[in-house]
Amino acid sequence: MDIVVAIKQVLDTSEAVDVVEIDASGKDIKKGALISRINDWDEYALEEAVQLKQKLGGTVTAVTVGPGEWDDTLRRALAMGADRAIRIDEDAAAMDSCVVARVLTALISRLSYDLIMFGAQSEDLGSGQLGPMVAEMLGIPHATLVVSLQVQEGEARVSRELEGGVLELYTLKLPALLTIQTGINRPRYVSFASIKKARDKELKVMSLGELGLSREALTPMVKLEKLELTPAGKRAELISGSAEEAAANLATILKNSGVILSG
Amino acid sequence: MAEILVVAEHRKQGLADISLEMLTKGRQLADRASGELLAVLIGKDVSRYAPQLAQWADKVLAVKNDKLEQSLAEPYQKTLSPIIKERKPKLVLIGHSSFGMDLAPALAVELGAPLATDCTNIAMKNGVVTVTRSIYNGKVNAVYSLAPSETVIVTGRPGEFPVEEGQQRGSVEEIDYPLEEEIDYKRLEGYIEPEVSEVDITQAEVLVSVGRGIKDKGNIEIAEELARALGGVVACSRPVVDYGWLPSGYQVGLSGKTVKPKLYLAIGISGAFQHMVGIRGSKMIIAINKDVKAPIFTVADYGIVDDIFKVVPILTQKINELKG
Repeated sequence: MDIVVAIKQVLDTSEAVDVVEIDASGKDIKKGALISRINDWDEYALEEAVQLKQKLGGTVTAVTVGPGEWDDTLRRALAMGADRAIRIDEDAAAMDSCVVARVLTALISRLSYDLIMFGAQSEDLGSGQLGPMVAEMLGIPHATLVVSLQVQEGEARVSRELEGGVLELYTLKLPALLTIQTGINRPRYVSFASIKKARDKELKVMSLGELGLSREALTPMVKLEKLELTPAGKRAELISGSAEEAAANLATILKNSGVILSG
Repeated sequence: MAEILVVAEHRKQGLADISLEMLTKGRQLADRASGELLAVLIGKDVSRYAPQLAQWADKVLAVKNDKLEQSLAEPYQKTLSPIIKERKPKLVLIGHSSFGMDLAPALAVELGAPLATDCTNIAMKNGVVTVTRSIYNGKVNAVYSLAPSETVIVTGRPGEFPVEEGQQRGSVEEIDYPLEEEIDYKRLEGYIEPEVSEVDITQAEVLVSVGRGIKDKGNIEIAEELARALGGVVACSRPVVDYGWLPSGYQVGLSGKTVKPKLYLAIGISGAFQHMVGIRGSKMIIAINKDVKAPIFTVADYGIVDDIFKVVPILTQKINELKG
């Protein structure tokens, strides 16, 4: 069972302390104090791949298209249990999803694979396009938003998430491509020691040229025009004061609105 | 003349809400461009839905396929691509639903069409389509332009395009399903409906809902105590289910339940759009979160910007005092 997992590194902007500012170009955000880490969805995809490999044998290869800093995330993937990692040394931010998909397709088609996994989307841009695009380019079946997976006799049985908590069940012939939804497993803890231990594993860096591609021939069809901080819009009436005062005032508001019934 | 094609999605319960949202947006864009709106629906009993689609569309293409009881990506792609190749609509609109996420990227590759997904706004000017997307956890809006092409494809975020009743009386054309061979590489095995949980959060009048900010399963107790004081029940956002802190029956949002309580009290929930779609029908929304920039404050009526672990126990105590 050979599994390829495509991953990316993102800037963590999920918390209150993660202040996002637009840079001078107007087309990117400032890295500032933001921390880089593996895309949340990709961590679930990697965990799923490593668990499958432990059950069925075979190999796990982590692949990405990104700059040198992203090696940190590939090393983390190796520490989680991937056997090797390959990075195409290009700035994916200058590409659109379709171009990244073409680069990944060129790479993956040179590898041996039974199953390809992507995170269902990225935390930063969240377009969710790459997985199904690569599947279409490779001419293999795909399922997105997968929340459970079993592999047997050349087939993958999956459930994928629909709206309202409904699951759609499919059987796909391998090779197939799945995009993985969060919650499918509990990704393992990766210690600093395990990252150090994994440093002997292969981390290969390749150029577009080695894939028979050139930047000139990869024209994006979707172009970023500008970024803007999200305007404040409608705001809640904020109840100020200390925690004690705010809680007391809120309790009064609830009483006056009839939510709290006395007695 | 510019033609806009909306791909309609149907579930057991009927047409998906997102399809009505896309039809509304498609109608507006078509009117502005003096173009025509075409709605395409594929499946069993399509004629049942055609009159509803014709409220917005100038023309409804109802593609009959008895095997298709609900929308599925592969049969849709195989049917849509020849229709799109023949008619060359300027813009194809699809909902950014689970179905749309499965369908749109593969369809775009097959057609060689530019694609923008999960858009919160869509504009068409002089034949160029531009879109707005919400990125970096809702902190940034990005505007993208799609390269002028025969056809471009855009998927719209659920809940961003309020439905306006259509005034159109479009025509309906029923056509045959062109797919001849079976799709044997991907078989639909069925559906699993959500489990019935002990507590039905859709029926509760007061919901105290916890998010990632609750930090640990053990901390949910403070929300349970507040819920008890308010005569309500506990609910949660997606991460709380992902981490295994509460069962999926408690999840509010797009992939969970849609709720309409008198009071929705969000504790440590930042407010991803998937969550907000599920709480829109609440009479009153109150949010407690330490991040003043959390999107939840854009839908809440009242908010407290503070540490939930400080505020919530005091709030519970104050409410119990007021109850006497």
